[in-house]
Amino acid sequence: MAVGMPGVLDSESADRCMKCGFCMSMCPVYGVDHNESHVARGRNMLIRMARDGGLATDASYRDSLSACLLCGRCEAVCPAGVPSPAIAVGARSKMVRERGLGSSQRLLYRGMVKHRSAFAKLVRGLSWLPGLSNRKGAPVRHFPDVVAAFFGGMSLPRLSAPFLSRRLPQRIPPREGEIVGQVAVFTGCIFEFFLADAGSDMLLFLAELGYEVSYPHDQTCCGLPVLSGGDLDTAQAIAKRNIEIFSRYEHVVTGCASCGGHLKRYESLFGSDDPWKEKAAAFARKVEDFSEFLVKRGHLAPRRREENRRDSESAEKAGGKPRVTYHEACHIKWKQHVDEAQRKILLGIDDIDFVEMEGADSCCGLGGYFGIAHPDLRLAMLAKKVDAIRRSGADIVATSCPGCLLQIMDGLRRENLPVRAMHLAQLVRGGY
Amino acid sequence: MAFGKSILGDLKAIVGEANVLTSAADLAAYSYDGSSSWQSIPGAVVFPSKVEHIAATLELLNRHGTPVTVRGAGTCLSGGPISPPGGVVLCMTRMNRIVELDREDFTVKVEPGVVLHDLNRELAKHRLFFPPDPQSFLAATIGGCVAEGAGGPYAVKYGVFKHYLLGMTVVLASGAILELGGNTMKNVTGYDLPQLICGSEGTLAVIAQVTLRLLPLPEARCTVLAIFNDVRQAGKAVHRIRASGVVPAKIELMDNWMLRRIEELSPLGLPLDAAAILLFEMDGSAASVAPETQEVIRLCQEAGAIQARASEDAKDAERLWGARRAAFSAVFGSAPTVFAEDVTVPVSKIPDLIDRIAEIRKRYDVSIVLVGHAGDGNLHPSVLTDKSNAEHCGRAEKAVHEIFVAALALGGAISGEHGIGLEKRKFLKHAMQPQAIDLLRQIKSVFDPKGILNPGKIWE
Ligand SMILES: Cc1cc2nc3c(=O)[nH]c(=O)nc-3n(C[C@H](O)[C@H](O)[C@H](O)COP(=O)(O)OP(=O)(O)OC[C@H]3O[C@@H](n4cnc5c(N)ncnc54)[C@H](O)[C@@H]3O)c2cc1C
Ligand code: SF4
Ligand code: SF4
Repeated sequence: MAVGMPGVLDSESADRCMKCGFCMSMCPVYGVDHNESHVARGRNMLIRMARDGGLATDASYRDSLSACLLCGRCEAVCPAGVPSPAIAVGARSKMVRERGLGSSQRLLYRGMVKHRSAFAKLVRGLSWLPGLSNRKGAPVRHFPDVVAAFFGGMSLPRLSAPFLSRRLPQRIPPREGEIVGQVAVFTGCIFEFFLADAGSDMLLFLAELGYEVSYPHDQTCCGLPVLSGGDLDTAQAIAKRNIEIFSRYEHVVTGCASCGGHLKRYESLFGSDDPWKEKAAAFARKVEDFSEFLVKRGHLAPRRREENRRDSESAEKAGGKPRVTYHEACHIKWKQHVDEAQRKILLGIDDIDFVEMEGADSCCGLGGYFGIAHPDLRLAMLAKKVDAIRRSGADIVATSCPGCLLQIMDGLRRENLPVRAMHLAQLVRGGY
Repeated sequence: MAFGKSILGDLKAIVGEANVLTSAADLAAYSYDGSSSWQSIPGAVVFPSKVEHIAATLELLNRHGTPVTVRGAGTCLSGGPISPPGGVVLCMTRMNRIVELDREDFTVKVEPGVVLHDLNRELAKHRLFFPPDPQSFLAATIGGCVAEGAGGPYAVKYGVFKHYLLGMTVVLASGAILELGGNTMKNVTGYDLPQLICGSEGTLAVIAQVTLRLLPLPEARCTVLAIFNDVRQAGKAVHRIRASGVVPAKIELMDNWMLRRIEELSPLGLPLDAAAILLFEMDGSAASVAPETQEVIRLCQEAGAIQARASEDAKDAERLWGARRAAFSAVFGSAPTVFAEDVTVPVSKIPDLIDRIAEIRKRYDVSIVLVGHAGDGNLHPSVLTDKSNAEHCGRAEKAVHEIFVAALALGGAISGEHGIGLEKRKFLKHAMQPQAIDLLRQIKSVFDPKGILNPGKIWE
């Protein structure tokens, strides 16, 4: 197989980096350790040097490649429009093609993720084992270390039982009245396996609004975790499958910020001479984040006025309403640029007391492969986030990325903070 | 590596294991700066966390005669923070605390690794403001800015870094910790050593803490955009405005190349064939900004502007300035090698310099992009080339040389703010008398007898 990378993934685009350093002002990883090999500017240089034979691709090089959350901030601020996250992914893929995947990664990407439904069956069998799932509605507890090992020591909630696709059918009719429209939903792995309650809130809320909701059960992982680990080949295979499955639908909604950000960029996985590129672009145009979908169609006009919004210092608990703060997922703000929609929705919910936390848009530290390769950095960033949540005095922290939710839940547990973490869909459906 | 394992062990003992980087990738990430022609791999990168760390590190390295190159954010455009191969990079970015903000006396004490943008963000919470604004403010550190004597568009009205420097803590090559200057607006106790350190490009001492003067945040701001078909008309406008007594906070000039880049990156609807644009910022009390803005627009029109308008609101103004920043940064991405020059002439000579540059552009058949601080005479002609193409690069170097000659002939200087570093050291002899360069060497040897601090910079 050719080692060249399609389009923006190619190291050629790193040549456009003029080392202005603007990305250093934004990068959450650099903000923690101030190591220039851990930020776009440095990494772009290393990738160019390695390509041109001026740098060995040793463990320290791979450390630099893995120390990126793929959060997209650097790209958003870059005056030269350098697609640094994609360049990092391209370089990781090049490493994987040259060196092969580690055995646990191979199992995870080419086994579990690529063949998600088969894997689901296997886990479903195992989930009868005591302690593995929250079948009896038991409080969310730690997922056994076997899986946690994949995620750099992250404690995961128990598996949802049953999984989301076993709770809801492939077609969910509108709850009542006329059909206002049709929409297909891409749920993503975390809703499917870990946060099925939140996932079903999203699907049902759309049905309650009057949509006929299609929920194809054969959809698979979006492929981001796989791509983030550098397995471009599997990421392409996964993308093709999703593109085909959703080719029948006109609107595709996802409640996962990370999936959304990735689905919208499927095009970048394919070279310009690849016929899949155009298909991927057409697919991407159909994808909308859950909040974006609602706001664009006027489903949640803000009923609360902007001046009612209070910051955490001045806010006192308002008459029995739960106080809600909001964590802005990187992939909502920096990749999809739909952060306005999220706040419109939150401000539109009358019976909550919405407070901004400090640094709502600072990263929670998950970042896929990053969190696995750099657990210490992951935890340092998480600690900052949890502290901001604590200081906001909120009862609930809402976000629109199930990945962030898992990470924040982990942080809340570590700190024993009695705050509930919820997906936006759970809030709009009134589940608080 | 220029030094052995034992020095490495000692360094780790001083700053802690996690604050010494030696892996191949980490070293490569500290091998460059914002310029495009210089690169070399250091032997170690050391991050001090407090002044005592700096002192102990320098004492150790001085004993061994190991070169030390101080680094802030590495946004320098003249090769200043690039270590000789195998030397130690002393990186200040982990010393990034704002130590003390005095809201009574409008001063702030900061560690050298504080990023300029972070400082102003913090100050804005208290309605305070630190004006010098090198356009790298998103990344550049206070230490680096002091060491480069940096400044930006605000220089017209507010001056540059050196005008805000009250005191500093420095560490000499020997490891001695010195307090220089103080906290007061006036101070003539002996030679003005803080001013000597300012602009010394890391060759005299390591700046470990800085006390800066602050201003209250101006109540109102307004931006004016004026477009001209002829660069001379723009020059005339700047002159008339300066003569009128109105003092804009910024006056920025951009040429047709920049204008086209702006339209590409963040379209503002500029006419693509215009020769130049001027961007002004007016600030002060709300009562003064409005009439001054009108006056600037009127004077631009009188000078022949084909279009002159005020920004609609803060967002519109930010869009204009953001476009200027992006376009300037785009210069560096537009060719494999960019000689980003930094000449300064008396303000009235700007049109002459621009004419000379146009001739040079023609004579050597190279692209030269022009952007600059028209209000203070500091222009950034950037020569676009490719160092792997010897023939082209040779022409570009000649063009640069001619630009320097032109600026000096007009009574100007070869660097207004980016420093000499490696990039311009071979031109120093054209800009300074031999005796003056000798004086520089002697001053250096008093501060740093063994010559360990940033060797090889400024002069050849
Ligand atoms: C896009 C862009 C725009 C720019 N615009 C401007 C501009 O408008 N005006 C301007 O003046 N400059 C500008 N620059 C140049 C550069 O940003 C400035 O010189 C800045 O002050 C450098 O700060 P730094 O922290 O990056 O320092 P570095 O680049 O790390 O170091 C610069 C020099 O200072 C020395 N140094 C750093 N820290 C210390 C310390 N603590 N003690 C002693 N010596 C030290 C280093 O040895 C080196 O010689 C620009 C650069 C870029 C990339
Ligand atoms: S902001 Fe863009 S051009 Fe500037 S250093 Fe980062 S990646 Fe390079
Ligand atoms: S994607 Fe995020 S983590 Fe990665 S370099 Fe850019 S800003 Fe840093």
